[in-house]
Amino acid sequence: MQQVKAKKQRESFDVLSNIIVIFFAVLNLFPLYWLFTSSLKNSSDVVKMPPDWWPQTFTFSNYVEVFNSQPALRWTLNSLYVAGLSTVLLVITSSMAAYAFSKLRFKGRNVLFVIFVSSLMVPKEVMIVPLFRIAQDFGLVNNLHGMIWPNVATAFGVFLLKGFFDSAPDALREAARIDGAGEVRTFLQIMLPIVKPGIGALFILNFVQVWNDYLWQLVIGQDKEMKTLMVGIATLMQDLNPNFAYKMAGATVAAIPMLIIFLLFQQYFTRGLSIGAVKE
Amino acid sequence: MKKQVFTTGIIFVLILAILAGCSGNNGGNKNAGTPGNTGGSASGGSKEKVEIAVWLTPQWKGVLDATEENADYDSFFKHAADKFAKQYDKYDVKVNVQVVAGDQRDELLNVNLSGGTPPDVFFESVFAMGDYAHRGALLPLTDIVDDEARADIAQGYWDNVTFGDDVYFYPFAHNPGTLAYNADMFKAAGLENMIGGETEIKTWTLDQYEQILEGLKNMPKDQFSNAYPMALYGLNNQGDTWNLAYLRMFGNSFFDENGSIVLDDEKGVKAAEWLKKIYDAGYTNPGAESVSSNDANAMFQNQQLGISFTNAVLFNNAKADMAAGKAPKFDIRLANIPSEGGDPLTFTYVVGASAFKTGDAKREEAAKDFIRYFSTDTDFVKSSKNSVPVRSSVAEQYKSEYPFFAAYDANAAYMFAFTGNVPGYSELRQVLFPELQALYIGEKTPAQAVKDYQAKGNEVIAKARENSSLK
Repeated sequence: MQQVKAKKQRESFDVLSNIIVIFFAVLNLFPLYWLFTSSLKNSSDVVKMPPDWWPQTFTFSNYVEVFNSQPALRWTLNSLYVAGLSTVLLVITSSMAAYAFSKLRFKGRNVLFVIFVSSLMVPKEVMIVPLFRIAQDFGLVNNLHGMIWPNVATAFGVFLLKGFFDSAPDALREAARIDGAGEVRTFLQIMLPIVKPGIGALFILNFVQVWNDYLWQLVIGQDKEMKTLMVGIATLMQDLNPNFAYKMAGATVAAIPMLIIFLLFQQYFTRGLSIGAVKE
Repeated sequence: MKKQVFTTGIIFVLILAILAGCSGNNGGNKNAGTPGNTGGSASGGSKEKVEIAVWLTPQWKGVLDATEENADYDSFFKHAADKFAKQYDKYDVKVNVQVVAGDQRDELLNVNLSGGTPPDVFFESVFAMGDYAHRGALLPLTDIVDDEARADIAQGYWDNVTFGDDVYFYPFAHNPGTLAYNADMFKAAGLENMIGGETEIKTWTLDQYEQILEGLKNMPKDQFSNAYPMALYGLNNQGDTWNLAYLRMFGNSFFDENGSIVLDDEKGVKAAEWLKKIYDAGYTNPGAESVSSNDANAMFQNQQLGISFTNAVLFNNAKADMAAGKAPKFDIRLANIPSEGGDPLTFTYVVGASAFKTGDAKREEAAKDFIRYFSTDTDFVKSSKNSVPVRSSVAEQYKSEYPFFAAYDANAAYMFAFTGNVPGYSELRQVLFPELQALYIGEKTPAQAVKDYQAKGNEVIAKARENSSLK
């Protein structure tokens, strides 16, 4: 009898918690829904009261205007190039450095790691001016590569992957060495496959971070054609244009690529966020 | 399966990246037009090559006006640059024009100045750029101002662009700041008696203004179902001059004779209390702390606000948007910002070009020559009609076509100098909106917000005064 009562209570709790979760999910998704549907309306329909929850007439003219009046496609490709290439390079450098800090024994390893990781405490904004001067000296201003190189080696990537390498048993590495594998082969063929989940998490987290890196991309990409999507769309938002739907279309264009990336790599993203939450 | 998705995703990104990179480098490696990469270089031709970068914030669209096909914010400067290059005999000059959003201006300028790569020319409102003159970053333009220009442009404008002994901005136009109102909405609210003439800048008393707000709030909702009486915003520093004007509505002088802020007195607190009162009473748009002036302007153009801020360019742009079908058509008219004393409040932004010290004599010479070219050429100065010309000759030429020129002229008697010519004005702007936000969300009382603004503002001014190169 008590068991039945407990089961009923549990079921009621499940129903209640599901309702709460759904409520908050809808609350979070609604702005996205509103953004997307408004971008398909005429400007006057966006501000209509009572509002049209679903567009009465669909129009893609706002998207056409975004792509016709601004080099939005160019901005999208620029963003993909900058975020994609810097992330691939970051994964390469971070995995090698993390492996060295985790598995190789050398003098001053711990001190070096602490110094390296302490750079995480310095906000990027503090380094903007010196970094800009360096970019200037290398001729990287107004150049997409100027947005990439400062992102190819970060303490965060090393810190994150070191944790994964630490959890890989040393015995595997030793066995590989006994079997005659060199350091490079051990790294590439034995250790790297083990930390693949970490690499996936780093890839997606860094991709998102670089994609949204507004300030650095603003100061480096000065020509209209050199802007990334985030900077370009932010500029578009400053345009004294009374067409709300046009701005909504711009914001949607900025949001969609990231949504696709998130849906494709959802598992890595959530894993990346939960790293360190559970001690194994 | 998961592995395939992951691998496919990476391959997709890399292919796109390579495609973007291949063409991206074409633009990225062009060393032209970027402040840091420009500069005189040897040429194989008869004239030495020089490239200069011209930056501007959005002003008017088109060369002469926004009715032209493909009119954009950079149309005027691209056209002027092209004509300048063709007739320029000193160098083979290339002028690269870039439009910078108003809220990105200081970030971009400060980083580029620190990096030693400022633009050669910046076209902007003087009040937003005065600090760069104080910091010693600008070239004096006194030597390119001739007697003809001195005679054609009234002394008041020269005073506005003179810092210390030198002219640092070549005055091109000015933008008087007023209120704009939707006369159709006034009619719907039964406020016909408050509507001014079509080419008048209407002056209301503060009592009348409050009646208008009340009338608009209680307007029948059948025609304007989603409208609020008045625009109020405080998201950032954009459009803050109107907020400064509201703070003077009860007679506060804002600055004393030493250039210190004196808002924290009975009149200043009363003004802050009035802002809070109308906000809480629902006489303004909600969420003022998170609304920008751009949002407010767009809301007004979409008939969501009865009264909003405007200046000559915004007013003309709004009418052009209506004519082009980009915004709903309505009867838009101008009014002054009221005050308790009865005399209205108005101000103006003088707009003009300044030249940055780049350390390259040839670029600096070309930059100054370009400024002189478009600021004095009889055809190019006509474009100043998009706001209000500073040149009497242009104002005279267009006065029948633009009856508002006379109205602005008559209004000049009520003008106040909103910057107080204090050093550090750009940074001072960063101090006001957080206090307004705190006021609107109820985090601070009006008295506390005013007190804190004064304390922080005076700190900014004192520090800037110490560092000013213009003693």
